[in-house]
Amino acid sequence: MAVVAVAAGRLLRLRAAAAEGRWHRWRGDAVARSFLQPASARKDAAQLRQVAHFTFQPDPESHEYGQTQKMNLFQSITSALDNSLAKDPTAVIFGEDVAFGGVFRCTVGLRDKYGKDRVFNTPLCEQGIVGFGIGLAVTGATAIAEIQFADYIFPAFDQIVNEAAKYRYRSGDLFNCGSLTIRAPWGCVGHGALYHSQSPEAFFAHCPGIKVVIPRSPFQAKGLLLSCIEDKNPCIFFEPKILYRAAVEQVPVEPYNIPLSQAEVIQEGSDVTLVAWGTQVHVIREVASMAQEKLGVSCEVIDLKTIIPWDVDTVCKSVIKTGRLLISHEAPLTGGFASEISSTVQRWFFLLLLLKQHLQGWGCGSSGSALAWHACGPGSILSTTYQQRCCVRRELKSKY
Amino acid sequence: MAVAISVARVWGPRRGLGQATLLLLRQPMARGLARFHPPRQQQQQQQFSSLDDKPQFPGASAEFVDKLEFIQPNVISGIPIYRVMDRQGQIINPSEDPNLPQEKVLKFYRSMTLLNTMDRILYESQRQGRISFYMTNYGEEGTHVGSAAALDSTDLVFGQYREAGVLMYRDYPLELFMAQCYGNVSDPGKGRQMPVHYGCNERHFVTISSPLATQIPQAVGAAYAAKRANANRVVICYFGEGAASEGDAHAGFNFAATLECPIIFFCRNNGYAISTPTSEQYRGDGIAARGPGYGIMSIRVDGNDVFAVYNATKEARRRAVAENQPFLIEAMTYRIGHHSTSDDSSAYRSVDEVNYWDKQDHPISRLRLYLLSRGWWDEEQEKAWRKQSRKKVMEAFEQAERKPKPSPYLLFSDVYQEMPTQLRKQQESLARHLQTYGEHYPLDHFDKQLHLGGHVCSSC
Repeated sequence: MAVVAVAAGRLLRLRAAAAEGRWHRWRGDAVARSFLQPASARKDAAQLRQVAHFTFQPDPESHEYGQTQKMNLFQSITSALDNSLAKDPTAVIFGEDVAFGGVFRCTVGLRDKYGKDRVFNTPLCEQGIVGFGIGLAVTGATAIAEIQFADYIFPAFDQIVNEAAKYRYRSGDLFNCGSLTIRAPWGCVGHGALYHSQSPEAFFAHCPGIKVVIPRSPFQAKGLLLSCIEDKNPCIFFEPKILYRAAVEQVPVEPYNIPLSQAEVIQEGSDVTLVAWGTQVHVIREVASMAQEKLGVSCEVIDLKTIIPWDVDTVCKSVIKTGRLLISHEAPLTGGFASEISSTVQRWFFLLLLLKQHLQGWGCGSSGSALAWHACGPGSILSTTYQQRCCVRRELKSKY
Repeated sequence: MAVAISVARVWGPRRGLGQATLLLLRQPMARGLARFHPPRQQQQQQQFSSLDDKPQFPGASAEFVDKLEFIQPNVISGIPIYRVMDRQGQIINPSEDPNLPQEKVLKFYRSMTLLNTMDRILYESQRQGRISFYMTNYGEEGTHVGSAAALDSTDLVFGQYREAGVLMYRDYPLELFMAQCYGNVSDPGKGRQMPVHYGCNERHFVTISSPLATQIPQAVGAAYAAKRANANRVVICYFGEGAASEGDAHAGFNFAATLECPIIFFCRNNGYAISTPTSEQYRGDGIAARGPGYGIMSIRVDGNDVFAVYNATKEARRRAVAENQPFLIEAMTYRIGHHSTSDDSSAYRSVDEVNYWDKQDHPISRLRLYLLSRGWWDEEQEKAWRKQSRKKVMEAFEQAERKPKPSPYLLFSDVYQEMPTQLRKQQESLARHLQTYGEHYPLDHFDKQLHLGGHVCSSC
């Protein structure tokens, strides 16, 4: 009996093994293997969920502004807000969930320190948050509004574009809401999908009257945010959410300002100009070092920082040197802010090329880019005489 | 146990964070910031208990009921309409008579009639092609003047576009009304907006903008700032019953209530939003009925009764400032004129309907009857005043016509406080264009500005 049972058992196991073998062959070995084996044993490590697509590169510590402290991005924001509320008694912070510290912890501790009339929750209504902020600012108080995600800024689009941006202009400077700053987490974080990852700066770039600013690091964030808060125009400050914890730097404890509308050349180069803002600055820095290493290409890297009004001169000066421009952003390609930069630079260089030919025709010689730069600098290229303009126009006509 | 539960109910609606969240938040923080205070959060937590069969929900303070019954919205007999005078200008209940001095009531009358005269002349001037556009205030003068008179002169006003009487009451000069409508060089708004988009910072009247209801949450923010500044000021926010359908209105009401702002929401319910009658604008009992839904003290008044408007606004102002809470006043009235010069209202309403309001229930007539019955006015004064007001308006009108328009270079200033480089380049580009092609533009009508203006930001 036992022998029969054992034999039967062995037979069943053999049949099972055969069946399993057939099943494996049918499904493909790789699938079976990965199904059965622990994750760490897998050869294809890309299956693992990536933490980030870049490495944050901190800037060297700045000794310009006194004592510094190690802070990540959200802590540098808290520090900027703390400084603002400390020195400006009219300053208030409001938005969804800011009272307990905020969903990204940017306002932790501020309500306890400054009081519930200065750091408070609002109902869940972005158009109300921005409208309310505009009203505060119209009376002269400093209004710091938080939109929980940049993806949710659109209900406030009318208040931002039709009201905040136009307040000073339409009233003939009788009224303004310059002391309004809107902050919002911005950009890819990996798992955010459609509604926690957006970069809407291009929508606002088309709106004169507001400023849009995007920092690349904690040190930059604090200085730029303080500048936005003190700026006499309504500002939107987008904070790359993937950097909230990932970016750590030494940041001054005291307040300091980084000027708006000034792009920064963070790495000099001679072959190509790379322009980006926010998180993507770190990506293109890696690209720059890879290009140097693998292709021997020397890249000049520019952090644009302010999207509107943007620093045309720094970018153009760089492209004069390198002759090539590459812009990288997370937002969709069509109508993205790269198109504004590239069309402005191309228009500028088209005129530059024609004028250079013209100046050479007049015997200015080909003393090259230095003279061309002086003659064609931002001021002079646009204040050429009537005659020169005619010549340029003739050139244009002859080419088309 | 019972004591604990009753104490918990006193703390009521405010709910602190749960224990779990307390733990989550106890994270390392940058030094120099205040530390988290657990005791306060725990204090605010309600003692939950099912021993007592009362509702524990944080969202509503209410009793249980075991009968299935829907609340029926009451539109048949809605919120009653407060009035002081009847249609013949007689005080109905003497205890409600504000007993205002003669001079003040005469100022009401003169403001309303001067506005009416200015409206007639400027409407005509649009018809003649002298100005591009105009909106009259016919029939609503009582809402403007009654409310404006009840405020302090420093109370901030956010309007929609049909509140010129508020500015008129605050003695805004005819010359400046006209300057804005003509967009001439004297316009403090620098000629940038369509007519009737007035603004005056000295008189605390925020510049009008075209998008509807956007001013509502802004007014709430301004009121919050006034509260923080202990300014003893109220903010008043005017809007029509149509604009009250906008999302911004909902936002404004909710924010005002939750943030406890000293604000008066003043709704001019004039029966129409361009061609849309109220039956197509809302199904509830008007705007006043929405107030209690937000937790806002609300009242409905006869907007054609200037004393009713005055009394309601006066009381609302007193309490809004004293108690830091919003008030909603829905002033029922009728838009006698067309929506604007771009509208012909005979396309959607009968001339008989308009005539009824013009003849039988007009704020100016009712006040005149009151003045006559008090012996404070008579036919002679009426004739003289009509002549005088018309003369004043015509003089201002003729002067405004003669003035040039502002310099075209003002297109570029005030976009930002400082003029950024790119805008300055655009301004220079216009200058060069006009140098070459100026003959094709009516530059003679424009102010000659020899230098390009605007403070230029050197770092931009």
